[in-house]
Amino acid sequence: MDQQKVLVALEDVSTYFTVSGGMLRGKRTVKAVDGVSLEIREGETLGLVGESGCGKSTLGRTIVRLNEPTAGRILFEGKDVTELKGEALAQFRRETQMIFQDPYASLDPRMTIGEIIREPMVIHGLYGTEKQREEKVVELLQTVGLKPDHIRRYPHEFSGGQRQRISIARTLALQPKFIICDEPISALDVSIQAQIINILKRIQRETGIAYLFIAHDLSMVKHISHRIAVMYLGHIVEVGESDTIYRTPMHPYTKALLSAIPIPDPIRGKNRHRIPLGGEIPSPIDPPAGCPFCTRCPDAEERCFTQRPQLSQRGDRAVACFALEE
Amino acid sequence: MTEQQIPVDRIPDELFQKLDDSEKNNEFLAMESKTYVQDAWNHFKKNKLALISLLFLAVMVVLAIIVPMVSPYTYDGQDLSLRNAMPGLDHLLGTDKFGRDILVRLMYGARISLSVGFAAAVINLCIGVVYGGICGYFGGKLDMVLMRIADIIYSIPSMLYVIMVMLIFGSNIFSVLLAISVSGWIGMARQVRTQVMSLKEREYAQAARVMGASHKRILFQHLIVNSMGPIIVNTTLMVPEAIFTEAFLAFVGVGISIPQSSWGTMANEARSLIQTYPIQMLWPVLAISLTMLSLNFIGDGLNEALDPRKH
Repeated sequence: MDQQKVLVALEDVSTYFTVSGGMLRGKRTVKAVDGVSLEIREGETLGLVGESGCGKSTLGRTIVRLNEPTAGRILFEGKDVTELKGEALAQFRRETQMIFQDPYASLDPRMTIGEIIREPMVIHGLYGTEKQREEKVVELLQTVGLKPDHIRRYPHEFSGGQRQRISIARTLALQPKFIICDEPISALDVSIQAQIINILKRIQRETGIAYLFIAHDLSMVKHISHRIAVMYLGHIVEVGESDTIYRTPMHPYTKALLSAIPIPDPIRGKNRHRIPLGGEIPSPIDPPAGCPFCTRCPDAEERCFTQRPQLSQRGDRAVACFALEE
Repeated sequence: MTEQQIPVDRIPDELFQKLDDSEKNNEFLAMESKTYVQDAWNHFKKNKLALISLLFLAVMVVLAIIVPMVSPYTYDGQDLSLRNAMPGLDHLLGTDKFGRDILVRLMYGARISLSVGFAAAVINLCIGVVYGGICGYFGGKLDMVLMRIADIIYSIPSMLYVIMVMLIFGSNIFSVLLAISVSGWIGMARQVRTQVMSLKEREYAQAARVMGASHKRILFQHLIVNSMGPIIVNTTLMVPEAIFTEAFLAFVGVGISIPQSSWGTMANEARSLIQTYPIQMLWPVLAISLTMLSLNFIGDGLNEALDPRKH
């Protein structure tokens, strides 16, 4: 894994939003993503996990420039994405795609499936003639397990799982190198979730696409990710190989998160130790001055409240926690 | 009991049964696919009032085209020996105070009133959709400036525009159209702006952005197409509004010039005879009110047919 080339590199990326806090308070800043550095390598899946509101979707949207980063650099194949314009931007749009969370909202209800999948080809002028595009659409439909005669139907005639397949086919029309999957399975039934995961894995085997797989559900992420990054309140708190993180989580937040995975077996489930987390995730409008997790951490020390731990290499992974530094 | 103690993921393979092939095809779509237009038409047909209105309007349009062509009379041909005739076989709706055939004048007026109505609606549609679409899509300062300009135009009474336009361009059908359109598009622009603002946050619009679609493509191929329902309804309701405005302008004497007729000028001319020959007032008023009523019913019918929430 380590020899693989880095495809996407985030360097200290921050995305802040300004919200008006009412007449008397003036403008305030929401630090949705705060100083994130990450690498995604060619052909790998990086799982990005964390609870709702921790900034993982914003991070994904920042990479594809749906949100502009406030600070930091995003390098795609060595080029800074935030400065792309014109032809270079079009090239980047072709190579990076996104699959959205809600399959009911991500397909234009007034377009047929054929038109939806053809659209990216039309925008980028791929595959020459109409007939070649039509053939490509049929091929893509088959890749994701749909039938060619679905081509003239409308999105409302499909189930959630089928729609998510259509989304996948649409992103594949551009033959991208990198797809951001923004919770693509969280709106689906468990049985359908596995189907979608398997399609994504098969496509990765066949084409070597890299994924950033955003999810809040750890049990599914494990099946698809090579590496996992755990996010909390806009910060990455732990990154490492998927197996390593699952077997021996080090950061107290990762430990708590993993302990919350239900075990689908009542016998083994009885022996599971849950680490309960008290309180709520702090508001990203005024995050704690020290470690972002200090307000809920069971092992928080005094300096955790005043200083911010940096993500640093601990053997086979990177963790941001003072308690692990000795 | 022993079976229950095997952990779920360690069930040996031989305990699994293969499903037969009939299960393979359990995900198929039984309904015939219907396009948006077909679906809307099916719902529209169920509304009898709207359907009758549509029929009435169609008949009116056909008559407006045919009657002045085949009738032996012209709209300005006077017959002073036959003034103020009651309806009869020669003149189906009678004649006016100059002995002109009322049926021909009414249908000639229908041409003008209907074309003013539809032309004004189309002009307002085009300007309103583009203006409102741009405001809603780009938002921010641009939206702020453009909408304030629209507010200023809207705040000036439309009679002022009408008088100004008539003074400059004279009394003809084009100045009537211009006068109606100066501020008529603003309602449409406001509605489209609101629609586009809410639709642009939908994931399909964002997916189009990630795909690399241009602003023009996202706005016109995705956002406007998806707000088409309310836009069509609004356009239908703009037609009677424009017809009424034209009739009103003609009635107060600033519409198209005589001897051409529109429903408004006919009503104006009949006004002086209302105590002696009230029937002459009846025809244009009936034409105006029935047309407006049917257009409103059509608008209501479309509103229901095009809105999936009301099905």
